[in-house]
Amino acid sequence: MIYLQILANGLALGGLYACIAVGFSLVWGVLNVINLLHGSMIVLGSYIALFAYTTFGIHPFLTVPIAGGIVFALTYALQRGIINRVIAAPVLMTLTLTFGLDLIFNNAMLTAFKADYRKLILENPLGSWSFSGVTLPVDRIAAMALAMLLTLMLFRLLKDSRIGRAIVAVRMDRDAAALMGVDVMKINAITFGIGGFMAGAAGCLLSIIFPISPLNSTVYLGKSFVVCVLGGLGSVPGAIVGGLALGIIESFGAFFLGPEHAVTLAFSLLIVFLIVRPTGLLGKKGYE
Amino acid sequence: MTIQKVILAALGAAALSFATMGSAAAADGVIKVGAPLPLTGPLSPEGLKQKQGYDIWAETVNAKGGIKAGGDTYKVEIVYVDYASNTPKAVQSADRLISQDKVNFLFSPFGSGAAKAAGGVSEKYGIPTIAATASSEAVYNQGYKYLFGTFTPNRTLTEPLADIVLGKKPGLKRVAILSRNDLFPTALAKEMAKSAEKRGLDIVMSEKYAIGTMDHSSTVTQLKASNPEWVFATGYINDLILIRKQMKDLGVGAEVVTMIAGPAYQEFIDASGPLAENITSSAWWHPAVRYKGDDVFGTTENFNKLFEAKYGAAADYVQASAAAAGVILQLAIEAAGTVEPAKVRDAIAALDTTTFYGPIKFGDTGQITSLEPPTFQIQGSKPMVVYPDGIKQADINFGVK
Amino acid sequence: MRDWLILGVGTLLFGLLALSGDTYLLRLGTMLAMYAVLAMSWNFIGGMTGYPSFATAAFFGLGAYTSAILQAAQMPMAVGWAAAGLVAGGFALLIGLPILRLKGHYFAIASLSIGEILREVVNTSEEITGGGMGMNLPLLRLPPEVQAQAFYLCMLGLAVLTTAVAILVHHGRLGFAFRCIEQNEDAATVLGVDTRTFKTAAFGLSAVFSGVAGAIYGNWVHYIEPLDVFDIMHSVKPLVMVLLGGLGTLFGPIFGAIVFLALEEAVWRNFLGVHAAVLGVLIVAMVLFLPRGLATSFEQIARRFRGKAA
Repeated sequence: MIYLQILANGLALGGLYACIAVGFSLVWGVLNVINLLHGSMIVLGSYIALFAYTTFGIHPFLTVPIAGGIVFALTYALQRGIINRVIAAPVLMTLTLTFGLDLIFNNAMLTAFKADYRKLILENPLGSWSFSGVTLPVDRIAAMALAMLLTLMLFRLLKDSRIGRAIVAVRMDRDAAALMGVDVMKINAITFGIGGFMAGAAGCLLSIIFPISPLNSTVYLGKSFVVCVLGGLGSVPGAIVGGLALGIIESFGAFFLGPEHAVTLAFSLLIVFLIVRPTGLLGKKGYE
Repeated sequence: MTIQKVILAALGAAALSFATMGSAAAADGVIKVGAPLPLTGPLSPEGLKQKQGYDIWAETVNAKGGIKAGGDTYKVEIVYVDYASNTPKAVQSADRLISQDKVNFLFSPFGSGAAKAAGGVSEKYGIPTIAATASSEAVYNQGYKYLFGTFTPNRTLTEPLADIVLGKKPGLKRVAILSRNDLFPTALAKEMAKSAEKRGLDIVMSEKYAIGTMDHSSTVTQLKASNPEWVFATGYINDLILIRKQMKDLGVGAEVVTMIAGPAYQEFIDASGPLAENITSSAWWHPAVRYKGDDVFGTTENFNKLFEAKYGAAADYVQASAAAAGVILQLAIEAAGTVEPAKVRDAIAALDTTTFYGPIKFGDTGQITSLEPPTFQIQGSKPMVVYPDGIKQADINFGVK
Repeated sequence: MRDWLILGVGTLLFGLLALSGDTYLLRLGTMLAMYAVLAMSWNFIGGMTGYPSFATAAFFGLGAYTSAILQAAQMPMAVGWAAAGLVAGGFALLIGLPILRLKGHYFAIASLSIGEILREVVNTSEEITGGGMGMNLPLLRLPPEVQAQAFYLCMLGLAVLTTAVAILVHHGRLGFAFRCIEQNEDAATVLGVDTRTFKTAAFGLSAVFSGVAGAIYGNWVHYIEPLDVFDIMHSVKPLVMVLLGGLGTLFGPIFGAIVFLALEEAVWRNFLGVHAAVLGVLIVAMVLFLPRGLATSFEQIARRFRGKAA
């Protein structure tokens, strides 16, 4: 019976993980850039939700498009202005660049918002659902449902819209896409921006679940890495599968091995998968 | 190669300026106290609190003319260095303050870990050092003579609590202990386990969680399954806020829920809202205590008054302890009649007096032994003292849903 | 050869610094030597061989803990230090075999994860490592100036040793093989270069001296805890230093370490609260405008600024 609860915990957590990671996965898979700012972008989304709620009373679920939009604009500009300059450079350069940018950005947030952990407490808490011995907090389920919705919308965008197809084209073969008339620079920036949008939106949804502080950014980033490697890069289904897998494994792992080993477990999985199956469970290979 | 040449030249100039930059010896009439603090980074909220405590002491002392030692009067100057919540930098900061800035005395960095690390520096140079926020006995077990601490050992937080709980509910048996995997929370959890075993309680669950854990659902699920009557959780404020919330999410309640060290802070109450109700905690000081002494503040009420006037909010135990560190230093200097390090060190060790913070007497290891840490419970979104009886504000309630 | 001469003169000059009793300068010097070791170590695998490793912190921490555990078991300090290097090097050879099969981003992440895993393993092995409560190292009952001089000379000695090895590698077969791998690994394999062995050797080299540095560091500060010695910044800073000084060059890492430390100290003294941001700006500026580190000429910077390739 308790296993059912652990499983439920894992699925709920996994859904959130998928949401955290999908934007990161897209940017990595399509642009071959690891966006180390991703964690900080999520945190920014959380803060936007916090301020929208405490100042204007807007419910975080409604702030999602606003938070997403702001972060989209920010990351688009960042990509267009700075990151694009090194887009063809070796891995070391892009990693170092986004690392430096994240240092600046995170420091700015720490200065503006202070390191204190804040919590967004809803006036009308959503409570918990209980059924057949399993209890789940409604806010997690709601956040996960909305996250899944957003992720599915992203999926449709990639499949059906012109922009989406252009993005996929660039992912498959950058030069060929350019030859076909795709404005690769613009697509790069848009992809990055979409990654940012998903991060901001995720942050917004997470604001009612986790405490908010710039100090959380590395934790979110770490999870995103593991999800991408587990599930496969650059694909929405990959992020979902990876996220759910991580959630379930962490949940059971913490139960059987003890919570202190949860972090070790995640990173060990990461290494094992990298060595054994770097393309992840769904087998979408990233660039070398 | 042009940039390299420019840089080399610049470095040469910088090296020269560094060399000529050494600090002048302590100016006459001023006592310099070094205070390395985490003013930025994850520990900055606590670092800033410590700074508030030091500042209010320094201000109050200087307003009253300064510290009098053997016929001379000295003003107090606190020299701050930010070590960005990074322990190795804390050690370097301590070294820098002593060897470069030539401070006469030192206040330890925040927390048990950094205080322990920096303690070696003070010992090396023979500079009396007071740790305002280090409670674990592991900090004081290195045989250092120059390190003193204003927090009593962790067991003084768990023993009285166990007495009260079992005093009112003698049938209570099942305890669950949850701690974060670093120095202070783990040491505290160990003490709780000892207090529990001593009284014949069953420890139905004892787990540690990693630093940076974002989700405690597995732990809380296990907690629920173990059906405890008393939940004892240690960690820092963000962990405790999250654990409490997830307990609510998963429908876990108990007769007693104790959390250390979040609930003493207003931030915990604000962040947890109604979930904070009936949570118990212990701390080394609480604004409700009432002590009277010969220190520069005189009484606890006076300290509270001055603090609220300056900062617009009540002090919690961090600020009070930091101010107490200053007060202790002052009393020792005045007793020794000099600012000579070895003599001041002996004076601190010999102190046996009362201050706004509580009775002051240090044990052989340098850790204070005389305090009676109050236990309190959050009732109606306010922390109410339930022990010791002398300053009790309310009775303990049972039942946390 | 010229390089040996430079090393000899440098050793002499830096060695003379030990004569000053100024503990502040000696502390800076010890940090400089330590970072020079880490930077030169990283250069073997990251600069010369082209594998962006983030495992420096893992080796540093592993060395620190190996030494601390042995000293807690009453072994002498020197034994602890030597063991640190051997254990770190051995570990790198072992773990290098599987993860050096990865490239680019994947290798980077895998190397980063090693440090994270080691940290958590240390954290959860309380009986041996003290877990989250850290480990004490024996305090030497010597006057502070003497201690400062002693540790400075030890760290300097390690830096000299590392540089000497680097010179040998650069001018020898190892260096040649590393550079082949960096330029085009597939071609190298086709030409008969045993890339696997050489890659692993580079990785091992990057670990040995980092491990000893960690051990000396532990005794220098008397207390280590997992978060400090496995701090990711111990992986990032050496990398930045090498980028500054010139990727894959011989003395570049040392030069980069000097500039970086000078900047860090200046920022720390003057910009309370924003030092992370300042470091970030430095990094961004460097990646965007200084493709060859400080060896970039002003002309090349101007061209970068105008948006053209250098």
